[in-house]
Amino acid sequence: MSDADEKALVARCREGEDEAWRELVDRYGQKIYAISYHFTLKREEAEELAQEIFLKIFENLHRYDGSFPLVAWIVSLSRNLCIDRYRRRRREKSFRFIPDDAVAPLLTAGDDPAAETLKKERTKLLFSALAEIPEDLAEILLLRDLDGLAYEEIGKALELPDGTVKSRLFRARAEVARRIRERHEARPGALLSLAVAAGAFV
Amino acid sequence: MSCGELERLFVAGASREQALAHRNACRPCGELGADLDRIETLVSGLRAPSASPALREALLSIPRKTVSCEGADRLAASALEEELGPADRGRLDFHLSRCEPCRETAATLAAMRRLGAPLPAPWLAGRIAASRPRRRRPATLRNLFLNPKAAIGLAYAAAVIVMLAGFNPADIARKAGVARLGESAKASVEVAGGSLADRVGALQESVLRKLAAWKGEVAGYGRAALSTALALVMKSEQQRPPSRPRGGEERGRTKRNETELMTWRA
Repeated sequence: MSDADEKALVARCREGEDEAWRELVDRYGQKIYAISYHFTLKREEAEELAQEIFLKIFENLHRYDGSFPLVAWIVSLSRNLCIDRYRRRRREKSFRFIPDDAVAPLLTAGDDPAAETLKKERTKLLFSALAEIPEDLAEILLLRDLDGLAYEEIGKALELPDGTVKSRLFRARAEVARRIRERHEARPGALLSLAVAAGAFV
Repeated sequence: MSCGELERLFVAGASREQALAHRNACRPCGELGADLDRIETLVSGLRAPSASPALREALLSIPRKTVSCEGADRLAASALEEELGPADRGRLDFHLSRCEPCRETAATLAAMRRLGAPLPAPWLAGRIAASRPRRRRPATLRNLFLNPKAAIGLAYAAAVIVMLAGFNPADIARKAGVARLGESAKASVEVAGGSLADRVGALQESVLRKLAAWKGEVAGYGRAALSTALALVMKSEQQRPPSRPRGGEERGRTKRNETELMTWRA
């Protein structure tokens, strides 16, 4: 969808056209829910956050001028809401403990129960390591690697140059990798399972 | 510890081959690169969580639940002209409960409307009633006495007579004036009607006006008449018109008379 089409879609939404709003929800609802889930790791909170974000989108449609992609504008609008939830979650004592049901929606159903268990452990380890790195790094890793946003979209959403986005993303990955390595070194044998889990995806 | 070259290559958008060449040449960067590959592989295997149909329905219902900021401006302006329907009122209230700038705007608009119809001061009706032009009365004997000019003339004459009879005419005139003021104030109060505050305001206004008039005119003319009469009496006591004082005693007497007269006037 081109920028002009997105601008036209927003204009139709502003005029109160139900069909246009339906199109916008169908186009971005899933992505916004995914972003919300990655920040909260709880279904109810993610749904609540997604509704908050769409309320904010609807109330601020007149601010979209079409100068950059709609998804970047949506992410920039929802950033504070997501960061607020993320910080609230970080304040919880159990923040670093990732339960099974938190990562279950992120896993594809496999035939092999053992491989599935390994995948689950690996994902929990990943999110646990993400919880330990600074939030400005974690935010970029989530948006890029889990939500699939382009560098340009992330840069515009977070008002950062592309070089900074890439640099932070590299450091975020390196930090997560280092922390996972540290955990495995503290628990000999776990690295092997991580490698096996990674192999299960390849 | 990585040498930093791998990060520089990544930020610069170098090809995978260039990054691999450096990783092969630099052992720390080689280890870091292997970790990064592993992370990338793990993350890319995750799928996006799927939203429930209930969430979709909730998102679709948002336009029926709230309004945009520009829509809130329109509704808040419409609310000044006419009563909003329940749906619009609900959407506006929901938006105002979430959006502080719009809440301030709506409150300012509502306050502006209240500015258009200020509450009158309690004394206003009385003041208007009291300032209403009086009806011209037919020329009756009673109205002759109520006419200030005629009353002043009569008072002037009466003051001379009363003074000659040995009474203070100013006291008598003041008493007569107060009695008349009572009737006039009653008429103003009837016209004012309305609340008790209006009646009090009308009475106050009327009494003050009349008191000022009678003080300035009736009592003033009465005193002037009295002082003139006194001067006439004093003049009649003198056999001949006062000549230019020659001696100190005579000059002093004239001066004393003048001083007494001025004191009386004062």
